[in-house]
Amino acid sequence: MDYAVELKRITKRFGSFTANESVDLAVRPGEIHAVVGENGAGKTTLMNVLFGLLQPDEGEILIDGKPTVLPGPTAAIAAGIGMVHQHFKLVPSLTVAENVFLGMEITKGGLIDHRAQRARTAELSRTFGLKVDPGERVGLLSVGIEQRIEILKVLARGARIIILDEPTAVLTPQESRELFETLRGFVAKGMTVIFISHHLEEVMEVSDTVTVLRLGKKIATRPTADLTKAELVQMMVGRAVSFDRRPREKSAGAPVLAVERLWARDERGLPAVRDVSFEVRAGEVVGIAGVAGNGQTELAEVLAGLRPESHGRFRLGDVDLTGRSPAAIRAAGLAHVPGDRMVRGVDRHASVAANILMTRQDRAPWSRRGLIDWSYVRHRAEELIGRFDIRTQGPDAPVKSLSGGNIQKVVVAREFSGDARFLLVDQPTRGVDIGAQEAIHDEIMRQRAEGRAILLISVQLDELIALADRILVMFNGRIMGALDAEGVSEDALGLLMAGIAPEAVSREAAA
Amino acid sequence: MEVLEKLFNVALVVATIRTTAPILLVALGGSFTTRAGIFNIGLEGQMLVGAFFAVIGSIWTGSALIGVACGVAAALVFALVFALLVVTFRANEVVVGLALNILAGGMTISLMKAIFGTRGSIVGHGIVGLPKLTVPGARDLLGSYAPLVSGFTPLVYVAFLLVPLLVLFYRRTRLGLHIGVVGEKPDAAEAQGLSVTRIRYTASLLCGLLAGLAGAHMSLGYITMFTENMSSGRGFMAVAILIFSNGDPVRLLLGCLLFGFADALSLRLQTFGFPSYLVLTVPYVVALVALFLLAWKTRPKLVRETADSMRRLLSIRPASPER
Amino acid sequence: MSDPVRAVLGQVLAVAIAIALGALVILAVGESPVRVFRVLFLGAFGDATKIAGTLLQTTPILVCGIAACISLRAGLFNIGVEGQLFMGGFAAAWIGFGFSLPPVFHVLLGLAVAALAGLAWIAIPAFFRARYGANEVVSTILSNYVAVLLTSYLTIFLFKRPGGWSETPPIHESAYLPAIFDFSRLNWGIVIGLALAVGVWFYFRATPRGYAITTMGSNPKFAEYGGIDIRRQGFAVLLVSGAVGGLAGGIEALGVHRRFMEGFAPGFGFDGVIAALLANGHPLGTIVTALFFGALRNGSLLLEVDTNASREIITVIQALIILAVSAQILMRRRADSTAGERRWKF
Repeated sequence: MDYAVELKRITKRFGSFTANESVDLAVRPGEIHAVVGENGAGKTTLMNVLFGLLQPDEGEILIDGKPTVLPGPTAAIAAGIGMVHQHFKLVPSLTVAENVFLGMEITKGGLIDHRAQRARTAELSRTFGLKVDPGERVGLLSVGIEQRIEILKVLARGARIIILDEPTAVLTPQESRELFETLRGFVAKGMTVIFISHHLEEVMEVSDTVTVLRLGKKIATRPTADLTKAELVQMMVGRAVSFDRRPREKSAGAPVLAVERLWARDERGLPAVRDVSFEVRAGEVVGIAGVAGNGQTELAEVLAGLRPESHGRFRLGDVDLTGRSPAAIRAAGLAHVPGDRMVRGVDRHASVAANILMTRQDRAPWSRRGLIDWSYVRHRAEELIGRFDIRTQGPDAPVKSLSGGNIQKVVVAREFSGDARFLLVDQPTRGVDIGAQEAIHDEIMRQRAEGRAILLISVQLDELIALADRILVMFNGRIMGALDAEGVSEDALGLLMAGIAPEAVSREAAA
Repeated sequence: MEVLEKLFNVALVVATIRTTAPILLVALGGSFTTRAGIFNIGLEGQMLVGAFFAVIGSIWTGSALIGVACGVAAALVFALVFALLVVTFRANEVVVGLALNILAGGMTISLMKAIFGTRGSIVGHGIVGLPKLTVPGARDLLGSYAPLVSGFTPLVYVAFLLVPLLVLFYRRTRLGLHIGVVGEKPDAAEAQGLSVTRIRYTASLLCGLLAGLAGAHMSLGYITMFTENMSSGRGFMAVAILIFSNGDPVRLLLGCLLFGFADALSLRLQTFGFPSYLVLTVPYVVALVALFLLAWKTRPKLVRETADSMRRLLSIRPASPER
Repeated sequence: MSDPVRAVLGQVLAVAIAIALGALVILAVGESPVRVFRVLFLGAFGDATKIAGTLLQTTPILVCGIAACISLRAGLFNIGVEGQLFMGGFAAAWIGFGFSLPPVFHVLLGLAVAALAGLAWIAIPAFFRARYGANEVVSTILSNYVAVLLTSYLTIFLFKRPGGWSETPPIHESAYLPAIFDFSRLNWGIVIGLALAVGVWFYFRATPRGYAITTMGSNPKFAEYGGIDIRRQGFAVLLVSGAVGGLAGGIEALGVHRRFMEGFAPGFGFDGVIAALLANGHPLGTIVTALFFGALRNGSLLLEVDTNASREIITVIQALIILAVSAQILMRRRADSTAGERRWKF
């Protein structure tokens, strides 16, 4: 029997970096094939090669047994391949139907036939059980529905082989379950599904076959049924890794951050943070869990003074900081590792030293008598480069020359090296390799031991379970519940993340 | 009162329509680039070379139509250079636009000196202007209101007819839709195999086409002459209008009518003995005030929750994943 | 090859390409490029008087260029330097002819009021930019037209020299910004310009506020996150930029023309802006580019005498240089935004 997709000895290099090294992938028609691996293992590169977005340096692609060259996505689409990207590529101001038919509009007499496009979208939506309203504007829809539209786009182009890149990263557990049912429906119709994931539970649950990549190489392809979760982890990481809780001593002291009935709105004026109250004590790590986009970002921005609250108050120690400027909040003792480090966390064009200087340029010994002491700045930067193991040519190297993980270390180094009593840490290890991840985790635990109050926001549950003392779960802008991180199960967190919890209980626990 | 009656009459409306036409043409041109996500400050220069080469073409061939074609061709060359630098070389659009404006100013004056040996303006030399079109039957039907619809040069009609055509273009044609997508979410276009580069070039050239027409209208329309820097900031006003309208043709029309009116009024006021220097500032001041008011109006508003809104927002059952 | 060396070589190459294109344009208008460039060079550097004349032309371009550098450093475009120059020029002339004051004080007051006039002229666009995000490129360009018309109005209708045409009365001798040599109108303005360039460079490099402004220009969101009030700082930067633009006008009025007249200092503001852009917003680089443009301008005075080319040919060359350079430098504002997204607040 021919394979639906067969990639043979694919090698892809970016400069001196080899993203895929002689990787084989064979996918049988009518199966759900999971491609798993850590961040940076080369999964997305491999899929981009299959979709024609990247050209392999070596190797061969066979579709339905026939050797195929894919110079671009258009060729891949013609060969029956469709890809649902991790970051959706939808136009907010257009309707669902317009997005589905973007680039292949149905025209009548040279004009776009909006009615026919809506009808066709409705038909596809019925056939494949992907519920959407074809006439609605995409900008108003939730992430789950956006994903359905992306899948519809692929189906409208006649795809028989569907690639999904990290499809569940933005979904609630229920939405993920619905997605899996849809995917099962596809394979029942004879289509083939390839999906990328690093979420082991769902790989075990939904896939027929698993291919594991590590550091750009294929480690194995096995039927899912023959594998255990532990074996899968072992293959992905190359060693046994435990996401166990970090050892700790009880050290919670006096309350440092107090948030009372806080509300905030997002850019569109919709409520994003609703009635949030909690406390963080000295020497305590409080985690905030939740599917991305449930108000965590907005909460962090309000606490950093970057977004106005619409109601409520918060204070650090005795200082009421409601409505104060970022400078005033920092002066009161905040340090902040922002969720999006490239946008907020660094000036990419400036040197490592200049990035370390930020927030303290007005203070001695960084500046004296109105002049910056650059030799001191450079000296301190060198010291932090050593302490945080930042891989760079030196303090004068521009930040943009560093890798993502090292840029994050620059941010962490700056924020953790001050005398702040409250650390607001948002997604500290997103896109960071394992080594750097552990270094950052060590540093967070060290800060905790030194008696700082830490609010840790993360979408990675294992990270929260490893580090936090208490975990608050946010859903739809509200705190659904607070759990003691000791002995908490992912299932319990998952339910709260999906918004399933009696709110009376959660309110009491949060206080 | 009498003064006001003299000031506001049919003639003023006619003058408004006339003065609106060039700025409307160039603004509609700018809507292509604005929608495609390019801030095009180079409209001024495209208009100026359009005006200059329209006059040259008209003198050399004795045909107003070929004159217009020459003006458009020159503006298209500028648009192409703009696209090359901004789209292909990713140069800063403000810098490129400004430089092209300066180039247009210097080039037209240098060429004027080289060809005609004069400075300041080109008058006479056999420039053939655009004819005025009489709408048949207008006189009989409308009497003294006939000048409202009849007797304009062709490009005035073109400008106003383009408004509904562009509405249709942006809503119902593939290219129109794609131009908007490229401005709003280039990733989405690229993912569907649409070439962002090609679409941006197309938008830029369409912009040059209309800017060239606008320029030709300036020098071959009601006055048949070219003067140094005769676009005198109209291209920049068009950019201001594009900012308020976000490239929407109907809102562009309204904005342009406002400036056409300010322009026409300032011309009128001069004949009433107001100092011309002050009166001439009126259109610029109107543009500035409009720009500031719009920015003020669209400022991010600070929302405050009320007891009521909080109760309402908390009572929504959070368990619906569809939101 | 190190990055700065490569950057400078790139600029030089771009200038060479632009000059080659300029030669083509000169051919197109029926002149010999060699002759034009020779006349330009001799006109700019032929003898001591010519060199002084070049420096005289350089002065307003340099001061205007510094005004533009200041705003560019914060990622803002003050393209209204021309208007500020006119307002400052008129204000200084008014102090010069309208008041009798002791010598040194009179000059200083004239320059100070010129700076204030420039500051006042940018204040409204600056406020709406900083507070509400109104596009400062368009608002400052449009306000140029108003400034030119307004100063003409003031000159012709309110302060005309009796018997004169479209100029104000001459300023008192006490308000003269003194000349450096007796054979040229070159005055202490060039020294003020050079001092400003060095001072602004040092300020951006060495002071905490200069660091904050640089960071804001490079990544405003990072600056905001780091506790810098980017609205207030942006407003202040634009005001200072406008004040320097006004000062340029004051230097022209008190040092060169010794009065204000219609068509007072055409194009110096724009030349300053493009000199600053060509130097990529670097104050010391702007000294070089301003000198280059000053030489072009001074050389062009001979151009219409000795050749058939018009002196505006030099603006063509300037524009071509900017275009050639723009193709290879990524200005800060562009570099920070995701390619292709709408970068402007509409």
